[in-house]
Amino acid sequence: MAGFWEGPLEKIDDYRWRIPKSYKPGMRVPGIIYADEKLLKDIRNDKALEQVANVAFLPGIVKASLAMPDIHWGYGFPIGGVAATDIEAGGVVSPGGVGFDINCGVRLLKTDFRYDDIKDKIEKLVYALFSDVPTGVGSKGDIRVSEREEREILLKGAKWAVKKGYGSDDDLECTEENGAMEGADPSAVSERAYERGKAQSGTLGSGNHFLEIQAIDQLYDRDICDELGLDLGQITIMIHSGSRGLGYQVCDDYIKSMIRCLQKYNINVPDRQLCSAPVNSPEGKNYLAAMKCAANYAWANRQCLMHLTRKAFEKVFAMSWERMGMRLIYDVAHNIAKIEKYTIDGKEKDLCVHRKGATRAFGPGHPVLPDRYKKTGQPVIIPGDMGRNSYLLAGTAKAMDETFGSACHGAGRLKSRTAALKSINTNVLLKELESKGIIVKASGRDTLVEEAPQVYKDVNDVVNVVHNAGISKRVCRMRPLGVIKG
Amino acid sequence: MKSYEIIEHTADIAIRVRGSDLGELFCNAALAVFDIISKRKNINPREHKKIQIKQRADNLEELFVNWLNELLSLAEAKGLIFFRFYINTIGNNSLDAIAVGEKRDGYAVNKEIKAATYHELKISEGASGWQAEVILDV
Repeated sequence: MAGFWEGPLEKIDDYRWRIPKSYKPGMRVPGIIYADEKLLKDIRNDKALEQVANVAFLPGIVKASLAMPDIHWGYGFPIGGVAATDIEAGGVVSPGGVGFDINCGVRLLKTDFRYDDIKDKIEKLVYALFSDVPTGVGSKGDIRVSEREEREILLKGAKWAVKKGYGSDDDLECTEENGAMEGADPSAVSERAYERGKAQSGTLGSGNHFLEIQAIDQLYDRDICDELGLDLGQITIMIHSGSRGLGYQVCDDYIKSMIRCLQKYNINVPDRQLCSAPVNSPEGKNYLAAMKCAANYAWANRQCLMHLTRKAFEKVFAMSWERMGMRLIYDVAHNIAKIEKYTIDGKEKDLCVHRKGATRAFGPGHPVLPDRYKKTGQPVIIPGDMGRNSYLLAGTAKAMDETFGSACHGAGRLKSRTAALKSINTNVLLKELESKGIIVKASGRDTLVEEAPQVYKDVNDVVNVVHNAGISKRVCRMRPLGVIKG
Repeated sequence: MKSYEIIEHTADIAIRVRGSDLGELFCNAALAVFDIISKRKNINPREHKKIQIKQRADNLEELFVNWLNELLSLAEAKGLIFFRFYINTIGNNSLDAIAVGEKRDGYAVNKEIKAATYHELKISEGASGWQAEVILDV
């Protein structure tokens, strides 16, 4: 299905490339891709760039259809795509620009442990986490909720979890949107979505979702590290999960409704998966009200997952999580649509910013950031693969100017699952990881191989681009020690 | 022999399915989806659950995507794996079918498919019957 992309690419500078608006009639803006020559070679090998051009068709899109260096072929939007539409000018919202896993995202917490403190306990921790954090396809959690409570989760997100005793107010301050978007309307969510979401709170899920124990192996910005209380050899934990079945159903329901909007609002897009409706239309408003519910569900889910992680650590170390210093650094969404204000051609405008596999990366001083991050810029969390590294970055003023305050979201896939299954042997992979001191436990038979390090781009290359392009800056790098996967 | 083949896709799973008629095409696509999701464990058969599925759509592509997504959604919501399908009636705009499933505990559930997508969706009729290509979000 794939093949080398032959379309035109103009070099803007060492880290930015343009697909001119003239490439396809119907493009309203050019495409701009953040990448270097090395990454671009792989990016051109599938249809991701065609998808960047397709997104440029969306009514109301401003400036450019943007792609981050971890871009790869998705369905509709490319994964790693950012698009902002001008609401006043009839700008649209597209469920495909958010994806099925609404508010898939990552959180990073620190601990007071150093590598030496836990190096003999990593295996024990991995087993404790694997036993106490529900993983795998359709996994069900111990955190059971009634239907009334599920409605409350959709309205209050992570705040619901904290109220239940699964965390602290401090956690909420360190979560994008404080863990709950305003304007969520549970009545915009179908019965089926409720049913699919039931019993999945506090479950990791499968695929590329994971929970990882890490050690900081490189500091890049000492001032920010000091500000955040991070140092070399310090142990961190990263959690990657989303809104599970509830989010998939919300997306599915609204794609069905928005397919009809293409004709109703005379929207011309080259791919039906880009179906959309004006943000201010009844269909657009309903989608956003439902999307916010799914986003809040995901924040509650990651809060519950963090709670289970803290409990597992408490079991292994016989110490309270507070005493172990297990504080949340930040939680960011990387599949979401947000209404945000930007200055376009000298005028302040409300834009609907789609981040499909892209992370919000607000620069220093942004009013929505908590006081503790006003000086540093927003923490931007970039998970890599299970064999190499992950990063903590900080948002910059340049991201506000160029990318609607957005950066990459991960390493980005390079190889298909079938190619992975053909070429990688599970036992060899486990031995390789073990030789690097990494212990992995996974639920699914094929998950390990499908998520092997070699199927991903090198996150170091991806982060180099966003750092050198100035849309986020490197703070520190982590290496994996123990990983649990779905 | 499997009734489907996997086509290369970087992040997701793309499949090609065939059928001698439209009904068989829809059945084979559904079988493919649940074959990717799970493998039956060698245990005593479980109670069969039959669910009637009625769908209406503006065209064949929508009908196809809606059919697969309804099955994925029902399977997750009800905790079932579907393994047999009967198409009672099918046209370009509607279908009436029965999906037969069992509780998930009889299966090794290996993969989660979030949904079937419209991206690069192709459904065509040739001399030897029907063929469809669809990308599944995993």
